[in-house]
Amino acid sequence: MARLSRRNLLRAGVGAGAVAALAGCGTGARPAGQPPLIPRAGPGETVHLTYWSWLKDLQRVCDVWNAAHPRVQVEAVWSQPGNDGGYQSMFSALAAGGGPDIAQIEMRQIPAFMLVNGLVDLSRYGFDRHADKYDPTLVSQVGFNGGVYGAPQDSGPCAFFHRSDLLDEIGAEPPGTWQEWTDLSAEYRAADRYLECFYVSDTSLFAAIAAQAGAAWFQIDGDRWAVDLTDDATMMVAEHFDRAIERDLVETSLGMFSPGWFAAAADGRIGAITCASWADALIQGTGGTEGLWRVAPMPTWSGTGYGSTQLGGSTAAVLANSAHPQEALDFSVWMTTDPAGIDAMIEHSGIGWTPAPDHIGTRRRQASEFFGGQRYNEEVFVPASRRQNPDWIWSPVVQQVFDNLADNFRRRLTGEITLMEACARTERDTVRMLRDKGLSARSL
Amino acid sequence: MSAKDRAGARAADPRQRRANAGSTILVTGILVVVSVYFLVPAYWIVVAATKTTEDLFTTNGFWFAPTTHLTENVTRVLTYDDGIFLRWFANSVLYAGIGGLVATLFAAAGGYALAKYAFRGREAVYGLVLGGVLVPATATALPLFLLFSELGLTNSYWSVLIPSVVSPFGLFLCRIYAAATVPDTVIEAARIDGAGEMRIFATLGLRAMVPAMVTVFLFQLVGIWNNYFLPLIMLADPDLYPLTLGLNNWYAQVERLPEFYELTTGGVLVSTVPLVAAMFVLQRFWRGGFTEGAVKE
Amino acid sequence: MKAQKAAPWLLLTPFLAFFTLAFLLPILYAVWQSFTRVRLSGLFGEDGATTSFAGFDNYAKALGNPEFTASIGRVLLFGAVQVPLMIALATVLALLLESASAKWPRFFRAAYFMPYGVPGVIATILWSFLYVPGLSPFLDLAESLGITVDVLGPSTVLWSIANIVTWTYTGYNTLIIVAQLKAIPGDLYEAARVDGAGPWQIARSIQLPLIRPALMLTVVFSIIGTLQIFAEPKILREVSPAINNDYTPNLAAYNSAFNYNEYNVAAAQAVLIALAAFVLSYAFLYLSNRKAGRR
Repeated sequence: MARLSRRNLLRAGVGAGAVAALAGCGTGARPAGQPPLIPRAGPGETVHLTYWSWLKDLQRVCDVWNAAHPRVQVEAVWSQPGNDGGYQSMFSALAAGGGPDIAQIEMRQIPAFMLVNGLVDLSRYGFDRHADKYDPTLVSQVGFNGGVYGAPQDSGPCAFFHRSDLLDEIGAEPPGTWQEWTDLSAEYRAADRYLECFYVSDTSLFAAIAAQAGAAWFQIDGDRWAVDLTDDATMMVAEHFDRAIERDLVETSLGMFSPGWFAAAADGRIGAITCASWADALIQGTGGTEGLWRVAPMPTWSGTGYGSTQLGGSTAAVLANSAHPQEALDFSVWMTTDPAGIDAMIEHSGIGWTPAPDHIGTRRRQASEFFGGQRYNEEVFVPASRRQNPDWIWSPVVQQVFDNLADNFRRRLTGEITLMEACARTERDTVRMLRDKGLSARSL
Repeated sequence: MSAKDRAGARAADPRQRRANAGSTILVTGILVVVSVYFLVPAYWIVVAATKTTEDLFTTNGFWFAPTTHLTENVTRVLTYDDGIFLRWFANSVLYAGIGGLVATLFAAAGGYALAKYAFRGREAVYGLVLGGVLVPATATALPLFLLFSELGLTNSYWSVLIPSVVSPFGLFLCRIYAAATVPDTVIEAARIDGAGEMRIFATLGLRAMVPAMVTVFLFQLVGIWNNYFLPLIMLADPDLYPLTLGLNNWYAQVERLPEFYELTTGGVLVSTVPLVAAMFVLQRFWRGGFTEGAVKE
Repeated sequence: MKAQKAAPWLLLTPFLAFFTLAFLLPILYAVWQSFTRVRLSGLFGEDGATTSFAGFDNYAKALGNPEFTASIGRVLLFGAVQVPLMIALATVLALLLESASAKWPRFFRAAYFMPYGVPGVIATILWSFLYVPGLSPFLDLAESLGITVDVLGPSTVLWSIANIVTWTYTGYNTLIIVAQLKAIPGDLYEAARVDGAGPWQIARSIQLPLIRPALMLTVVFSIIGTLQIFAEPKILREVSPAINNDYTPNLAAYNSAFNYNEYNVAAAQAVLIALAAFVLSYAFLYLSNRKAGRR
């Protein structure tokens, strides 16, 4: 595989001077093939690795490793969160022929980085020896074309976070099914509250709920992408929320965990959020609600789909320009599967759900005071992490699809189209996006 | 026209500062109301910077919380992540200072050349540069990034400095100013005395153009200081960030880490104080080039 | 004589060298890129990529995207409302500041100019705090009066951005106009007064015509500025779900390039933005010159 596609393309343009190239309007081609393997550094050599991530205090995790491995020193560089500029920095560094050795990349972005030839296939450096330490549904989300393109770093099994005081007020239980969720939402509306928000600007939660219902938006069909946002499962979920919006059962003007959301959650205008395990730390930022929150299993689709789903989740991916991919993999595997690494990540950086089923983290076995003494990790999230849709994978245009879907969802709020129609439109657009890149794709 | 109107006419004469009490109260009243609009956000940020995140959400935004945390907040801003904020500040000073200075010199030399020499291609060059004034800087930033990434210049001080030393508007201003204020006869006299062309520029030209250069420098300084798009595109390494990018980096974290509210409000306060102070002092220098230059054409 | 021939080029060289590097080459490069397409093969481009001439395909794609065309309409609407309002406000403030009735004109001038020293990014962060329910004392005040305002909703957020831009740039434009007012010779006022003109007449027939060049400069700069709006919507996205990734043309181009890695479409968008700035500025200058006749 030729390294750095974009650079080569650029070279075709600028190499001979942009003006000269203008006249030529040349055509160029990038050949296919694998870059040579880079061996482990020699015994006398000290390797320095950089790791770009938006996790807080990640250096303290690296320090734990650095103390035990004097010859492989890892430096953490704190970047902007992925879509807020982090990925842009990584893409631009890759295009310039540089970049860190390791980068935090969300699972859903792995294919987009593969598209610019930005990632090292870890299976060539022996990832398979460690594969059984990871949750298999996560490994399936980073494996394509027989390779593995990132070490799962954390994930986000979902549950129903709610203010128990508000639930007690009306003497209700957490909803077991989405139908009960609708009924409960109506009761909340009667008390001039909302149970939950529907997030038009961030459609990843909608995708996660569709996955729970059994959808698989992206599928690989030989060397073609198959796109399906109009299957029964997705349509059922879309219709469910169409009705909820119709009946004004969901708040639609707030972003997930935006300042406005926190204000509403603090004064009880919003009573719950279906979200991933990592939301626990965020919810603790809701002023004056200590002890009031509880966690229950996510509502299910009666008779179909899965018990939970997954939202968010990152990998430690080795970038294409790393001079030491082998050492970078060693560190990544240690950080994501070794109990010392996991505990340090939880302690200092507050990562999401651990990708290693054998160790959920020492701290997470304890009862949480904020959540009223509930041991929700073992009680709710351990089972949730095992009740996942195994068929869900991502495609190289995920961010574009989410944004496109969000644009179409906004039209739901102005009453132009329904969510069901929005999904159908986005399916058509997704096929076009893939084809625009020259990839072959079809609708299902 | 009545006598009263005549009196009004006299009152409105800016050269004779005489006015009746009624219109003074009215005009000054309007000016006060408008200044509230411009100053209240500044006041709010001063108040907000004294609060903890919890107080920020729970106390009245127009008044201070019972306990003041200004020193804690500012200390945290200055020391967070080994004092990265000070580094961002220094970077901003570097980008804006050096970029502004070099851009001014380049614009002065170019503007002087266009104003004081008749040569083939003069109008073509001038037209090209005028076109440059009208092209939004952000439209060139994107291709500039692609170009610089080929040259290996992205993610370096150069990637922000190089585009900052070009000010088409500055050249435009300098040309007009030089044409109006550097007399040809003086240049001719200097030539007869045997002075070289460069020396004439360096002694006569530059000296006469100082007011315009001050304007160009300030214009470019503020432009670079406030720039966000170019560094956002060019820089990946936080050590190279200017303040704008760094502070936004903090702000982007508040969603996940609410303690960043304190850092952001504190950082906004600390970063605006020097510039706002500078604006109060500098605003009287701002007119030089404009009155005698651009708008006189 | 020879020295005199070489001198202008010598003086121009540093400027032109960097102008070429930072303006001309990127523009030419963008034009070239905008006529190019990259096609990948395989599921992830692992079977290679080819670059070829695309004709106007990228332009068709850019203009065929309803969100991008909507963003152009949005900034035009913004410009048609915000620019005249801001310039009118700046003109009125300048006239008031220069009138004999103003007390402490230097203080007010400085106070109005102050926001110009606050970078757009920081101004937006600051205002975003003032736009969020629960944080903003203004919204709290309105709430306590029984008025619920959503300044971040789909129909209002554009004007919340306009407010930030107005706050930042009005004082700056005021200052330019004040500078021009100060350049008006005193005998003109004298003559007007002898003719018995009142303050309105002086403003209308002496001050306004004579500050026309300054007004034109501020309008052209504001038009260019409007087309460049980027930081404000990008940052307000954090608090307003109504702002999408293609809210303004510039944001759309940035997004195409760095979120979707569609450099060729982004190049086409950048070229379109530059063209629009050109056409609008020239059209404005042309129209206002024609209206004024030859002076």
